Amino acid sequence: MSSVLRSENNALTLWQNLSRKSFGYAILFPALLVILGLNLYPTISGILTSFTNQSLIDPGHSVYVGLENYFKLLKDPVFQISLLHSLELTFFAVVLQVILGLVMAHLLIQKVPGIHFFRSVAMITWVLPIIASVVMFRFMTLPSYGFVNILLKDVGQERLARNWFGDETFAFLLVLIMHLWRNVPFYAVAFMAAMQAISSDLYEAARIDGAGEWRQFWFITLPNLRYIILVMVVLHVTFTFNNFDFVFLSTGGGPVNATEVLSTYIYKQAWNGYALGYASAGGVIMLVVLVFLVLVCNKFIKGLSEE
Amino acid sequence: MRKPLPTRATVTCTGLAIFYLCLLLPIAWLVLSSFRSSDSIQSGRLLPLWSELTFQNYIETFQISNFITYLVNSFVIAFSVMVLTVFLGSLGAYALSRFTLKGKRLFMMAALLPQFFPYVLVLIPFYVLMSNLNLVDSHLGLILTHTSITLPFALWMLTGYFNAIPRELDQAALIDGCSRLGVLFRILYPVAIPGLVVAGFFAFVVSWGDYLFVSILSQSNQTQTLPIGLQTFMSSLQVRWGLITAGTVLAIIPTVVFFSIVQRRLVSGLTAGAVKT
Repeated sequence: MSSVLRSENNALTLWQNLSRKSFGYAILFPALLVILGLNLYPTISGILTSFTNQSLIDPGHSVYVGLENYFKLLKDPVFQISLLHSLELTFFAVVLQVILGLVMAHLLIQKVPGIHFFRSVAMITWVLPIIASVVMFRFMTLPSYGFVNILLKDVGQERLARNWFGDETFAFLLVLIMHLWRNVPFYAVAFMAAMQAISSDLYEAARIDGAGEWRQFWFITLPNLRYIILVMVVLHVTFTFNNFDFVFLSTGGGPVNATEVLSTYIYKQAWNGYALGYASAGGVIMLVVLVFLVLVCNKFIKGLSEE
Repeated sequence: MRKPLPTRATVTCTGLAIFYLCLLLPIAWLVLSSFRSSDSIQSGRLLPLWSELTFQNYIETFQISNFITYLVNSFVIAFSVMVLTVFLGSLGAYALSRFTLKGKRLFMMAALLPQFFPYVLVLIPFYVLMSNLNLVDSHLGLILTHTSITLPFALWMLTGYFNAIPRELDQAALIDGCSRLGVLFRILYPVAIPGLVVAGFFAFVVSWGDYLFVSILSQSNQTQTLPIGLQTFMSSLQVRWGLITAGTVLAIIPTVVFFSIVQRRLVSGLTAGAVKT
């Protein structure tokens, strides 16, 4: 594009051209410094740390220990449980989010009175600080006077009432529900925008050919949403797999590791256990697993489109 | 006589009702409870009596030591992150959109990469780096940290926005004697306002809600923000849920207000980074 620009400005001397270029680099530099200096450097440094026995007590002195941290981690039963929980949470959250997002998007493109209000407030759950969502869910599920237990009592099902976040089965389910609560509207609004962009001629043609609603959805809507679904899935596999706040703030990983995920386990190893090298190794494994997951999603969704 | 099938509108309304009940109930319950007295919250009734409604929780929340400090810290940090992200992001995007630079594609990819890195991994060397720079427990340290998280997205999104603006506009301005920076501020900024607003909003929301980085890089009341404050309330105020809910409502008001201003442009902006470029 800039070559076009240059040919239009034959008056530009070599010197002006050079300063033009360096101006471009100069204004890019601050962003470059912040992004590469504060993201890429720490990550590379983190990968290097994973091969040492660095400790928070004396971070200045550490010894190269090779793959020792990795061998220890893979044998660590809590690490294995955390890895399993992270994978389960990511899988169920993303699959349910896509399904519920499609349903909600389908509702939002209908023309009913007040639909603009529904569209405009949809993403409210997404913009709230995660701590606020956690307060809401913990408050609603309090054992003695939370909304859920009061409601159960009022409809005569008091025996079902419990300390939801303190329950080994339900705590994990609640973490999953909080993820859905926050992200489903984002999927819905993104899918809705993509659905509105599909030409109505396609549906018209399908109706003439006698295709019902379900077939229209399956053969026209879904194929046209492939790209946005891929974007949302990759975005949220990353978000869910890396997310720390939901679990740490709601259960801290408990009860008895029932909700422990990789990010909370690694955090505790580093900042409560002082084992920076060990925790870094956990982080590197997380990174490798995540890259693998993203590649799988990419392949899977692209594969679907070729059918 | 056959029962008529439910109409499309009925199905839609029922579906919407179910979805929005689930989405809005926790927020409504939080707001309602923040106006109830302790006795009312613990009464075991779902709805309060009129006489039980009170502003007491809000008054007491402000009296709790540190709440105002948390609020001020959150504002200072989130606002600075917003300004810095938009400023550096638009400068960088201007360079990427209008100048021939070597390694442009490589840099764009490198900028995107950190989005996939687990923050808990980045946090460890980050802490070491910040302590070497003497920036632990300082506003500046947190502002730079949050900016490094929000900048890649802003850069991508704004590059897309700027690319969509015709180059003839810059040309005309340059011929009229406008400086190169002037082109950015006088020509591109006004046209790209929707993009700038979404980038700023995103930066604000991320910084305002961050718990993880603040929990490590902030070590005293001087720099702690609302998420840390609310978490402390939850663990230290135990049964005083009136105060906790009031504090939470206060913490979400700024994001809700900001959201109501930008919501129209939010989705197109958020997906633009991924779709347009």
